Amino acid sequence: MQKIVDVQNIEKIYGKAGEKQFKALSDVNFEVKPGEFVGIMGASGSGKTTLLNILSTLDTPTSGRVEIAGQDITKLKNNEMADFRSNKIGFIFQDFNLLENLTAYENIALPLALQNKPAKAIKPAVMNISEKLGLTEILNHYPTELSGGQKQRVAAARALVHEPSIVFGDEPTGALDSKSARALMDTLTKINREDNVSILLVTHDPFSASFCDRILFIKDGEIGQELKKEDHSRAEYYQEILDSLGTFAE
Amino acid sequence: MLNKLALSGIKHRIRDYSVLFSGLMIASAIFYMFMSLATNKSFLNSNSPASATSFIFGFGIVLLAIITIVYINYANTFLLSMRQKEYGMFMMLGAKSSKISRMIFIETFAIGAISTLIGTALGILATGFVSKWIISALDMQVKHFNSFYLPALLSTFVFFVVIFMFSAIKNSMSLRRSKVLTLLNRDSQPVKIKRNGVLKAVQAVLGLVLLALGYLSMWYIGQNPGFIMIGIPIALVTIVGGTYFTINSFVTAFIVMLKHNTKYSQKGLNNFTLSQLSFRINDYTKILSMVSIMFALALGAITVGLGFNNQIDNVVNGQNYYDVQLTNPDAAQQKRLKGLNIEKKNIYNFKVDKTNVYYKTSEFKKQPLGYAQIDTKTMISKQQITADPSKNDNAKFELMNTRMPDQRGKVVKFVNTQEFNAINAPTTTTVLVKTNSFKNNLAEIKSISKAEVKRYPVLKNAGADKYSAYTMINGFFSGLEFMGFFLGIAFLAMLASCLMFKILSGANGDVKRYNMLYKIGTQQKVLRATINKEIGVLFSVPAILGIVHVLLGLQMFNKILYKPYANIEIPFAIFIVLYLGYYFVTRYLYKKIVLK
Ligand SMILES: Nc1ncnc2c1ncn2[C@@H]1O[C@H](COP(=O)(O)OP(=O)(O)OP(=O)(O)O)[C@@H](O)[C@H]1O
Ligand SMILES: [Mg+2]
Repeated sequence: MQKIVDVQNIEKIYGKAGEKQFKALSDVNFEVKPGEFVGIMGASGSGKTTLLNILSTLDTPTSGRVEIAGQDITKLKNNEMADFRSNKIGFIFQDFNLLENLTAYENIALPLALQNKPAKAIKPAVMNISEKLGLTEILNHYPTELSGGQKQRVAAARALVHEPSIVFGDEPTGALDSKSARALMDTLTKINREDNVSILLVTHDPFSASFCDRILFIKDGEIGQELKKEDHSRAEYYQEILDSLGTFAE
Repeated sequence: MLNKLALSGIKHRIRDYSVLFSGLMIASAIFYMFMSLATNKSFLNSNSPASATSFIFGFGIVLLAIITIVYINYANTFLLSMRQKEYGMFMMLGAKSSKISRMIFIETFAIGAISTLIGTALGILATGFVSKWIISALDMQVKHFNSFYLPALLSTFVFFVVIFMFSAIKNSMSLRRSKVLTLLNRDSQPVKIKRNGVLKAVQAVLGLVLLALGYLSMWYIGQNPGFIMIGIPIALVTIVGGTYFTINSFVTAFIVMLKHNTKYSQKGLNNFTLSQLSFRINDYTKILSMVSIMFALALGAITVGLGFNNQIDNVVNGQNYYDVQLTNPDAAQQKRLKGLNIEKKNIYNFKVDKTNVYYKTSEFKKQPLGYAQIDTKTMISKQQITADPSKNDNAKFELMNTRMPDQRGKVVKFVNTQEFNAINAPTTTTVLVKTNSFKNNLAEIKSISKAEVKRYPVLKNAGADKYSAYTMINGFFSGLEFMGFFLGIAFLAMLASCLMFKILSGANGDVKRYNMLYKIGTQQKVLRATINKEIGVLFSVPAILGIVHVLLGLQMFNKILYKPYANIEIPFAIFIVLYLGYYFVTRYLYKKIVLK
């Protein structure tokens, strides 16, 4: 089976040669298969954001190889990276990152407009995803008129509207209360099941993590442990995660 | 301790502070520049024939003062918004609000005082530099002008100290009254577009009516110069109001229209740009209207200044037909003639006795004599030629002025060749040259005229050639022209820095937006293009309105200037080049802040 994400031996060192250097990632290997819902957990400063930035072409690894949807992204030039992001990747950020001078509808339509899709094709796509995420009522609102949970669902819709190969999230529930967090995770799980969208999330929160199929634990820049859900219930999986966090943190 | 913290806060925002400082310095520099002209009574009186000049400058001072107050108030808001979060934090941590309000008072006042001091020093330098440049570029004679002028310096200081005193008081009161929470959160609340269709429609109509009234009153001034004292204030008020409403309604309407056109708006970042603009326009209406008025004033001042310059040409051409006149030229003068771009060269011989001057009729048959005329009512000059000057007073007058002063009073006789030869007197030869353009050959013409005076010292105070006429007329109009140029450049610098300042101060808020667009996969190229477009629109809205204001406003000068619209492309070109320069600098700085 083809892999959506294939990471081989990546290493990331911050700081130029001669200056003070810091190794944020060392020898990271893993893969994500189509339709998988993968979580990444780890203590603060363990390198989660660094890893996600590399996967999403916002940063480049010092060494190693990253393939996404069959393409080696470490070899891309600047413009190709931008195009790659706009075509193949969806993003959900912790602080929503919506443009507050565009309405929810316009925010969601942005990735399609960036690809220069014809206006006729944009509307059905936006309506379709908004319906799935329950946003149809608020499409004409500006971000300042939305609650945190609504904002994050708009951001999710924006990440999904162009049918990317994979969606990345850096603590998407980090700024939400537990109820909104749960609603968002439910929606993401639904989209993941029904539309077979691959999702890779970074999270601190064991509850959010319990929605994943598989969790990678990262410590001091290395992947230490992997926890699969298999046919556990979510409650059991949640308990397992808590246990691993306990042992892993030592 | 707190003071130290506050100072370190300044260090971290060094870029914002440098924008603020340079903005304030430019303001005081320009204010000084203007005052150095406007308060210099002996300069005004000796360089302007019109009694209206004093009035116009008085009006200019009021206008500039208002604009400066608005500008500084705006800069002050910028300062406050920059600092309130930090001061809010100090208050949250337990600093007393009286202490905080004293700190902001001192900070505001110190910034004002330092920038005024440096600004006026810059103003003195700039005044010297600009005036030298204008004087040499336009070959002018300006009397009683000095770049260092104490009354101007004092009035600039007093003015700015008073304004900053008020700003400092205002800031400290506003901090004392605000709640800590509002201080901490203030800038996370973006303004919402107010979509009030009816209000916008009313504004659109009102805007157009006001503009029409303003243009009408300027036209009326052009027809009846006596109306100026009432007409100018009327025009000013109506045009300022009209511009404000027009920008607020039409530009917003236009953006909304483009947004509704999904074919356009849903393409690339167009929608983003339109939204940025529609948010901006609301916030920018005041400054855009102010800039378009200033643009008009500046452009108008330069256009009128150059209009006086055209006047020089026209009047000079109405004085003499020939650009150079020589009596018995020697080899050196003949050689100098070779440097000219000659269109026509006439050579006449004459003899003189006690009472008469004799010319050969045949010479005029062969080389008709040119003569110039000016209608003093319409100020239109005419140039004609005649093969028989004996019956033409204008031609005789022109011919008279080509002779030496002591021979101008004698009676002119036109005789045939035999009679001419029979006269027992030495022959004098007059060489008259018309070049392809007096202006383009000015340097050579000047040297020939000077050499001629050296050969014939009597010409020193009685020169009747075109160059002598030019020096006299040039001296007369230069003062007016100088004022026009000076005002124009001062206003331009003020307006463009206002706009630049405003745009740049919004850049910090945009960093996040552009960063997000970059993250979701927008190419740098596209981001750059978006910024160029956005800043381009913000610069062109006032420019377009300003140009319309000037084109219609020139009607005011219908009676004072000969052809106010002649050569209008020159000031426009100068202006647009300078303005474009500001556009490019702004967009460069903006990208430096926003894109990494
Ligand atoms: N630009 C950078 N330059 C130097 N060091 C960096 C840079 N970015 C991150 N680091 C370091 O790399 C390490 C990993 O950072 P990273 O942001 O990936 O952590 P994280 O796992 O996302 O933490 P958190 O859960 O707090 O967000 C940290 O020690 C951090 O100090
Ligand atoms: Mg992180």
